[in-house]
Amino acid sequence: MRLPKMYSFLKKDLDLIESALHQSIQAEHPVLRNASVALLDAGGKRIRPVFVLLAGQIGNYNIERIQKIAVTLELIHMATLVHDDVIDEAELRRGKPTIKSVYGNRVAMYTGDYILARALEVVTSIKDVQVHQLLSKTLVEVSIGEVEQIKDKFKWDQTLRDYLRRIKRKTALLIATSCKLGAIASGLSERDAGKLYRYGYYIGMSYQIIDDILDFTSSAKELGKPAGNDLLQGNITLPVLYAMRDQSFYKLLREIFANPSTVGDQEMQQIISELKKTQAIKQAYETSDLYLQKALKSLDSLPASKAKQTLQDIAKYIGKRRS
Amino acid sequence: MTEIQHIRNLLEDKIHNEYLERHIQKPIIHEGKLQILAELVFSCDSLSIIQKERFVITTMMVQMALDTHDLVPIGNEENETKEEKLSKQLNVLAGDYYSGLYYYLLSEIEDVELIHTLAIAIKNINEYKMKLYYKEIETFETFMDVTKQIDSMLLVRVARFLHGDELNQVISDWLLTERLVHEKIGATANRTPLLVQWKEMNIDTSYKTGLNPIDSLIEKQLDKVDKALSQVPGKYAAFQSLIRKKLENMSFYQSSIVEEG
Repeated sequence: MRLPKMYSFLKKDLDLIESALHQSIQAEHPVLRNASVALLDAGGKRIRPVFVLLAGQIGNYNIERIQKIAVTLELIHMATLVHDDVIDEAELRRGKPTIKSVYGNRVAMYTGDYILARALEVVTSIKDVQVHQLLSKTLVEVSIGEVEQIKDKFKWDQTLRDYLRRIKRKTALLIATSCKLGAIASGLSERDAGKLYRYGYYIGMSYQIIDDILDFTSSAKELGKPAGNDLLQGNITLPVLYAMRDQSFYKLLREIFANPSTVGDQEMQQIISELKKTQAIKQAYETSDLYLQKALKSLDSLPASKAKQTLQDIAKYIGKRRS
Repeated sequence: MTEIQHIRNLLEDKIHNEYLERHIQKPIIHEGKLQILAELVFSCDSLSIIQKERFVITTMMVQMALDTHDLVPIGNEENETKEEKLSKQLNVLAGDYYSGLYYYLLSEIEDVELIHTLAIAIKNINEYKMKLYYKEIETFETFMDVTKQIDSMLLVRVARFLHGDELNQVISDWLLTERLVHEKIGATANRTPLLVQWKEMNIDTSYKTGLNPIDSLIEKQLDKVDKALSQVPGKYAAFQSLIRKKLENMSFYQSSIVEEG
């Protein structure tokens, strides 16, 4: 089953969120408005709002309250994307030109700042300080994570722990926070909200590991960027960390990346081919699966419901993702 | 240690990040804004000392976040060096980091209202910055007004949040005056001087630059501040006195420049 079909029963509420997202980015300045709307219309999985809604459905579901949280999480995600495209000098996102490529860096900075401000404006209509303490802490961690990612580029002696901490900040925390905020907004107990937080955290870890595997196993066409692009940018991900345990692979990698600016397609193809000969991909999938099992276990003691079933289905779907 | 120095230390401590400091310029703490903000906040008896410190620190952090993002170059230079690229990337991230910190530090003291107030200010400032970026300005007066809004919006919003609207005019006009004076003495702090910006806009239809345009602008602004200050209710005596003192220093400075030619 495809992912959107799993949560098709949320369609009405997701449509409401989509419409609220549109409303929330109606800037006065036409470029600010058009750039934000184009980014929103480019699509995306809206996975964070989905997690907010599903976690919310386990408690006392109130769409008006939940909607504000879901909109906020998606706006924060959008703001991050706009700024990330400046950092990565990305020309395309979801097949469409980035704000940075159409309007330049400065407009991308203003747009990202504007969208983040709108997110905070929306979420502060909720007065529960617990919501703000969790969300703000996550925001700080996410930005520290981004700085760490740059700091760790081409750092060949980094550890597994470095990698896991990085993907926790990069991906897992925002998904965990989405789940927990949905739970809090629906009045779930701290204990149950904690279970959903852990579910989101483990799912996020698993998702990111698979994303990092796919960077080596998918085609350039499937990825929308060259295979091995993460490594080319200096990001040392789990498959590389595992593959580096093989001395001949490590030696080859260090030789080729002695001068990163000279690494071309041919060299990358050679690295990918050698990486695939090691146990790295298999081991990385095993690690991802460990997180998935933990995610599923986190839900065990929650009462049976359609939302819980969907969270379990999403976890299984993520585990099977091969492209 | 003075109160201002204490706040400055707290602020520097909160934003400290070794890696960022090693690779990008430390954010500038605008002394004039810090002083006014401290006066606005510390005169509120209803606030606890922690609230007072956090209000000043977080507002200054938002200012730093916005200023840092203005350091990101407009386009990507073809011959961008590795260091320039890193500095661009880290300026993006540092600004985001300061924004996150402002939210975090105010949520710690459970002040959702100020988070909201500052978010609205950030939203409006970015709307104004877009106007300026796209040169959607017809007259010199509008140009000065947009600049004034961008420069003073945060402090004006905080002043409104704490005291109502009675201090807005003085704050915004004073900050513009101070900026002009800094430009006159060459202390532009990473910013293109206003008259240079205006000239670059190629819209010069209404404003005729005289022999010494900045002096006449400063004079005009000083009059405006003086007038606005006289309208401020007596209960803000300390605020009045702070601005009055700044005015006196500036008038003295102005006259010594004139005397020295």
